[in-house]
Amino acid sequence: MSGQPTKTRSDARSGAGFDRPPTLTKAMVAPGGGRVDRHARSRFARLAGLAWVLPAVVVLLVFVYLPLVQNFAFSTQEWDIYSGATEFVGLENYEKLLDDPVFWTALGNNVLYAVLSIVFQVAAALVLAALIESLRGPRWRKVLRGIYFVPSAISLTVAGLLFYFIYEPNLGLLNNFLEAIGLGALAQPWLGQESTAMVSIIAMSQWQGFGYSTLLFAVAIQRIPTELYEAASLDGIGAVRRFLHITVPLVREMTGLMIIVTISGAFQVFNEVMVMTSGGPNNSTQVLATWLYRSGFVRNDFGYAAAIATVIFVVTMIIALVQLWYTRRRRVEF
Amino acid sequence: MRTKRTIPAVAAAAVAALALAGCSGGTSGAPAADVTAEPTYEGKLSLLTKFAGEPLESYFQDLADAYTAEHPDVEIELIQETDQSIKDKTKTLTASQALPDIYFTWTGDWAENFVSGGLAADLSEVIAPGTEWGDSFGEASVSAFEYDGKYYGIPLYNNGKFMGYNTQAFADAGIEVPTTFDELIDSCAPLRDAGYEPIAFGNKDGWPALHYLQQLFAYNVPTDVLRADFDPETAKWDDPGYVDALEQFTTLVNECTDTGAGTNGVLYTTAQEALAGGKAAMYYQEVLEFDTITAEGSSLTEDDFGIFQLPAPDGAAGDPAAIEGAPEGYLVNARSPQAALAVDFMKFVTDPENAKTLSSPPYGQPSAVVGAVTEDTSSRAVYEGITKVNEASQLVGWLDTVTVPEVADAWLAGGEALISGSATPEEVLESVRAANEDAQ
Repeated sequence: MSGQPTKTRSDARSGAGFDRPPTLTKAMVAPGGGRVDRHARSRFARLAGLAWVLPAVVVLLVFVYLPLVQNFAFSTQEWDIYSGATEFVGLENYEKLLDDPVFWTALGNNVLYAVLSIVFQVAAALVLAALIESLRGPRWRKVLRGIYFVPSAISLTVAGLLFYFIYEPNLGLLNNFLEAIGLGALAQPWLGQESTAMVSIIAMSQWQGFGYSTLLFAVAIQRIPTELYEAASLDGIGAVRRFLHITVPLVREMTGLMIIVTISGAFQVFNEVMVMTSGGPNNSTQVLATWLYRSGFVRNDFGYAAAIATVIFVVTMIIALVQLWYTRRRRVEF
Repeated sequence: MRTKRTIPAVAAAAVAALALAGCSGGTSGAPAADVTAEPTYEGKLSLLTKFAGEPLESYFQDLADAYTAEHPDVEIELIQETDQSIKDKTKTLTASQALPDIYFTWTGDWAENFVSGGLAADLSEVIAPGTEWGDSFGEASVSAFEYDGKYYGIPLYNNGKFMGYNTQAFADAGIEVPTTFDELIDSCAPLRDAGYEPIAFGNKDGWPALHYLQQLFAYNVPTDVLRADFDPETAKWDDPGYVDALEQFTTLVNECTDTGAGTNGVLYTTAQEALAGGKAAMYYQEVLEFDTITAEGSSLTEDDFGIFQLPAPDGAAGDPAAIEGAPEGYLVNARSPQAALAVDFMKFVTDPENAKTLSSPPYGQPSAVVGAVTEDTSSRAVYEGITKVNEASQLVGWLDTVTVPEVADAWLAGGEALISGSATPEEVLESVRAANEDAQ
């Protein structure tokens, strides 16, 4: 072995040094045999890889991780943006969170958002996807998928504005429609009163996201072998039982993923609330992100806003970790 | 779903980015701008306005073009925002220490923050009463930007809040202009019978309610108490006049608007259009809006448009001659290397000819320059409104700019709660007192 470099496994497959530049081959030749060579090549490969990813790492560090660390540091301070003066206050901003009724309203609204989103964007979307996929004609399947997906192609801001005018108390489509069909008694100032504002915003959001979830479920259902359904049909099993005993278990992976993504999205809601109510009336539609914005940009309390940002980060990070764990462990094979 | 994820992350990152900027150093040690120096007519001058959107957007653009035509080596960068968006923009620029050379300001606590933070240049030597430029303005307008005996602001226009009304609607309903608050409420039923929404009101953004409240506070609360309550250190917010004012406001909303408890779901501009379109009989508005209401395309003509001061309640403990309003103007960045040029440009903006243009249709922004608003230059309503402002016993600034942000925010939420009926006047006051305590 001595004196000659040993071929590595990859070299053996591709021919020694065949896919390497000459300088690299030279660098690989080291006194003492193949182990050193392998280490040298491996070190070089690592360094080359690092060089390739370094710009991305730097960008990530500067624009994602550094602001995160800074945000946490800033949540322990009070900052006067006018004078630039900062004062370390420890965990005072977090204590303030606990005593802030609007923070709890915001958190509650995020939870409500998550729960209703699971009902509509997971459960109802799965049922709808199963119904669409059970249609015999492929043309109808395509048409329906398209119809349900269209709202997802509209930006949240535009959808928010659209629904603001639908909900408008005097001129809005919804109240006028209710009156036209004889249900004028149900007409409401949907966004103008605390009892209906949040649910009205969530309803818009479900309309917007429902088709996207349906499409994802449809894709998952398409992966289920048709033989399973055919066998069940031959056994005389009805559509509901086929759905419950074949479809639901076999799209479990997608369902789990959708639940996690939906909850995560519900804790990051911002656009639709800002466009439709700005968190009002009387803070009844505040969510964590809008309260963060209001605390910083309206109330000038940037340290407190940073504390809210940290809470959102922690919540969504936990959800993201659960998502990673789930997608690694839950593989449905068929 | 994917779109949602980015926004809060951006918001959080924005706060963090502001934190980075904020930690990088304050304004201390910054060289003071020399506003009295002879300007060098070269370089870039940046200006942040709240004139975005037609017809106002062209005003500063035209002035910038005219100024650079005279001084070809000067470039003027205009950053034009709306009344709503300029609040965020200014704070973001402040936090990132990127304020332009000249920037818009309200009076009261808003301007004071920039002054106390060392971000506004002391303009006393060029604009204080007694100086040539200073004397071209009404003294009250210049004094509105006075802090600790120094003058910081360049007043661009005056402003006040009035009830604008459709004279044809009043004729149809057979009623006269009300002279007391009770008469105003009593006029609503006949106006409704005549087919009009008595008072159009949209409070989606929260601040329109504060305009009613502040005028009613001025009527119901003794002036010295009211002024003391604007400062968190001396504020008590416990005068019984506040409860009276809040109850009067609730009565007005319930009796005189069609949307009542749902008014929080209506845009301010929707209400504005209801008067301009001839559907509503009254709409509470600023002088700045008068020419918009009767602009080309509106059903309401200039001849059919009248104004009156929101009537004061009988026997109220405050000042019945006070009008809610304030001049609005511009500050010069204390750290601007172009401070002298900035002053020169603003002298150009406020010269008599440009002041008259600003005061005339389609702009209708009543200039703070003496003699700019006349019966010949301005529309009848603007002239009448600004005359009333000048004759008022005192001007009381907007509630959300004279109070500190925490208190202003509590009033915003409180106004909305009163409208939707979810809080009593006492509960609203309690939340304001709590916010004041936090602000101390």
